[in-house]
Amino acid sequence: MNKDININQLRTNCFRQSKIPGEFMLQMRVPGGTVDAKYLSFVQSIAEKWGNGSFHIGTRQTFDITGIKYESIADVNNYIAKYMKEVEVYLCDVDMEINNHGYPTIGSRNIMGCIGNRHCIKANIDTTSLARRLEKEIFPSHYHIKLSIAGCPNDCAKAHFQDFGIIGVTRPIYLKERCIGCGRCVKVCTKAATRVLKLVDHKIQKDACCCVGCGECVTACPASAWVRPNKKFYRIMIGGRTGKQTPRMGKMFLNWVTEDVVFGVIKNWQKFSDYVMGGKPEYLHGGHLIDRAGYDAFKKVILDGVKLNPEALVAQRILWSETEYRSNFNLKPLSMHPVVPPRD
Amino acid sequence: MGYKLDWNDFRIFLKNLSSDFQVYAPKRFPQQGRYSDTDCIRYAKIASADEIEYAQKSTYPAKEVLQPINETVMYFVEGKYIEAKEADERPYFIFARACDINAIARFDDIYLKNGHFADPLYQKRRQKVHFALMQCPEKGWDSCFCVSMGTNSADEYGIGIAFCEDGVKIDVKDTAFEKYLAPLKASPADFSVKPVSENIVKVEVPEISSKEIQQKIKSLDMWHEYDKRCLECGSCTLACSTCTCFTTVDITYTPETNAGERRRIAASCHIDGFSDMAGGHSFRPTAGERMRYKVMHKVHDHKVRFGHNMCVGCGRCDDHCPAYISFSTAVNKLAKEVKRLEGERENG
Repeated sequence: MNKDININQLRTNCFRQSKIPGEFMLQMRVPGGTVDAKYLSFVQSIAEKWGNGSFHIGTRQTFDITGIKYESIADVNNYIAKYMKEVEVYLCDVDMEINNHGYPTIGSRNIMGCIGNRHCIKANIDTTSLARRLEKEIFPSHYHIKLSIAGCPNDCAKAHFQDFGIIGVTRPIYLKERCIGCGRCVKVCTKAATRVLKLVDHKIQKDACCCVGCGECVTACPASAWVRPNKKFYRIMIGGRTGKQTPRMGKMFLNWVTEDVVFGVIKNWQKFSDYVMGGKPEYLHGGHLIDRAGYDAFKKVILDGVKLNPEALVAQRILWSETEYRSNFNLKPLSMHPVVPPRD
Repeated sequence: MGYKLDWNDFRIFLKNLSSDFQVYAPKRFPQQGRYSDTDCIRYAKIASADEIEYAQKSTYPAKEVLQPINETVMYFVEGKYIEAKEADERPYFIFARACDINAIARFDDIYLKNGHFADPLYQKRRQKVHFALMQCPEKGWDSCFCVSMGTNSADEYGIGIAFCEDGVKIDVKDTAFEKYLAPLKASPADFSVKPVSENIVKVEVPEISSKEIQQKIKSLDMWHEYDKRCLECGSCTLACSTCTCFTTVDITYTPETNAGERRRIAASCHIDGFSDMAGGHSFRPTAGERMRYKVMHKVHDHKVRFGHNMCVGCGRCDDHCPAYISFSTAVNKLAKEVKRLEGERENG
């Protein structure tokens, strides 16, 4: 085989190089991991016409279609224009030009999401709707960002391993007059959550500061004495990542923030990336960028112009804990330390 | 006398009524359901006709009006006590369905006719109750079985009411309510509340002929199913229109004082501690035994004492059970088992 293929450009268009010479895998975005089932016919058509007949459910919830020959890529890009238009532009209101050149960037990765409260009895938020509304804030941008949205602190969406992990939480209201003092919420909180409830004189006392915001007490109560407030609340985890060098679980950055704050923070991500990388996007997990700038600088840029709601809590410091795949991984000559480029 | 009122006139009617009555109705509490972005419908004092949730069955029953989940009955200090004051002394006007009104008649059995003792707190309230009988959808809702329980119609009501697209139809049975309509341009209409004549769910109530069969029911295998399925949360009993049980609790304001209050708090045979005795003995430790106790109470025991079954077939227990346990299915299973037991006895 003798082909002159710009694999970097193909990668930017969401075609991943295969070990089989001349073959690629298309990754179709599925914001929040949910689209109408009718789009499976797109997947089937591509796989059967240009691919090897099978598809993989991407670990970031993309539709991954393997075995696409380099020669077919132009046809595939032409074919997926309709999918991109319907999903990105119509469904998610993304400001982008639809043409026959395929996905414009792979920078901002597909937003992952658990099934959320459209289905799940545990979820506190509609993850699908949030993913679709956030899509236009991050896509198309060459700056790398990995986002996942979990409906509750159970975190089936692995928000703990993203640049930004958004977790739907609730601050249950206790309607004392409806409480029968059965203690079921206490049992459930003890078993499934953070043991913040106790039964005293047939009523509940709560250690509010340690409440994880899952809403198990609401689901458990037979009398609707615990109810969710009308207002939705979110937790944001930052700096989580996987990888060969220093994988780590994200840490809590914000707690009990409103949706406005979530949007404000995500909108500032490009500005922060730009600040750290001096305007040259490269593939680096958000955590590395935070490390490079320092948490205080991150906090300053990412919260710039964001109006925090009264309940909001912000991490003063973050104590990262990483798995170092080589001992003393961070010990290296000063010349090897990445730095934030000087500003003009 | 029947009338048709547009919604605005109905608003005024209710406003007129509210000057003399405390008006209770099923009301929607947005976002307060068990799961996120779901609502709770429960009884509450209303100030406007617009607050009435008439299109859906309430999650919790009308009993909460007369027997609140929590209630302070008296305050005590140094051997003296003061009865708790009613916040509102006016008579009640309660929007209720046929099952709900029949359920209050079951409450009367327990609170007024049981053991030759009338509960003064309940009695005081009960004397002041007037009902608006709400018409149900043709077959009720998918969990209703009022027809099987004979509770699909009710006699005790001041007005009957059906909610239509553009207003309401009212049947004024108690002429005392005519005066609230008098200032309005209500047009006469031929209307009376149409009872549900057939439900989707049909229940066969077991006929238990002897103590011997009753004893055998205790050891039926069917109850064991609930040992595993039932969460013992008590949701069914809180949602039940006819569960009357409460517990009495004395609470002192601080551990050092003897000043405090006596409360009545709703209690449930499905929840741990309900049948605990001094010395630690508990009568029904398993969920299956609790289910049996409840089922027998609802479709047999109450009838033996009071002449009619306790269950009114509102189906709220089924609606509210987080584990999809169906009471009506359990009753039908029991009826089948009882038939088998009766057959075995006859065949010797």
